[in-house]
Amino acid sequence: MNWDLIIFYYLAIVMIFSSVFAIFSRHPVYTVLLVLVMIIHQAFLLLTLGAEFLTVVQIIVYAGAILVLFLFVVYLINLRKETKKSVFIRTVSLIGIVFLLLGGLLIKNLLILLSLKPSFKAYLPFTIEEKSNVWWIANYLFKNYLLQFEIIGVVLLVAILGAVFLIRKVKIVEQK
Amino acid sequence: MPTLEYYIILSIILFLIGLFGFLSRRNLIVILISIEIMLNGLIILFAAISYFTKDISGYIIVFFIIAMAAAEAAIGLSLVVLIYKRLRTVYSDEITNFKG
Repeated sequence: MNWDLIIFYYLAIVMIFSSVFAIFSRHPVYTVLLVLVMIIHQAFLLLTLGAEFLTVVQIIVYAGAILVLFLFVVYLINLRKETKKSVFIRTVSLIGIVFLLLGGLLIKNLLILLSLKPSFKAYLPFTIEEKSNVWWIANYLFKNYLLQFEIIGVVLLVAILGAVFLIRKVKIVEQK
Repeated sequence: MPTLEYYIILSIILFLIGLFGFLSRRNLIVILISIEIMLNGLIILFAAISYFTKDISGYIIVFFIIAMAAAEAAIGLSLVVLIYKRLRTVYSDEITNFKG
């Protein structure tokens, strides 16, 4: 048992349990905060995978922008007290049984499939030529993936325009 | 050192947790957060495969996934706010306008 495995087990267990509690919690504020815990642990898992740039992007974009946006919407919508009713829809037990079977089957088949081949060795490719991870990502992103990079810029612009268009002042239709 | 199987199993577990929440919760905001959990499972999968096969393209795809998640959260949350303004509810089983 070395330190890499201990760190991986700690990060994995915290991520799984915080996401399970996030799904099962009753109030959406607790859900958002538990997902925040999961995302910070996942950022450190990306750090163990040799991606420092993605760690910083994960913390800034996910924890700093997306989850704060979720938290603002949760505060904006004043939810009624729903302590009596269940948080799930009615067919939740059926969905749960199907998902337990599906997950067990998927992991079992995947382990059989991976045991046929020699397992991949961990290898740090980005420190060989004395270049950092950020240098490699920038080199690939602006040479090989430039069109996709600009397309994702257009997608973000369309998302901004769509959000502004949807939230504009509308005449609320009274329905009896 | 944890091998690739550990990361793949972790990503599958996170993806299934997110898919379960997406299919079974009533609150629309929690449904959108479940999509984020599923995307995080995919991020772990791409980053782990990129690390173990020494190919940089997985990291680039993770970068694009994070940007796409930001756009998806903005559009989804604006739709939730619009549904709340129209119908005064965010619970998916109370939105019954299409029931004829």
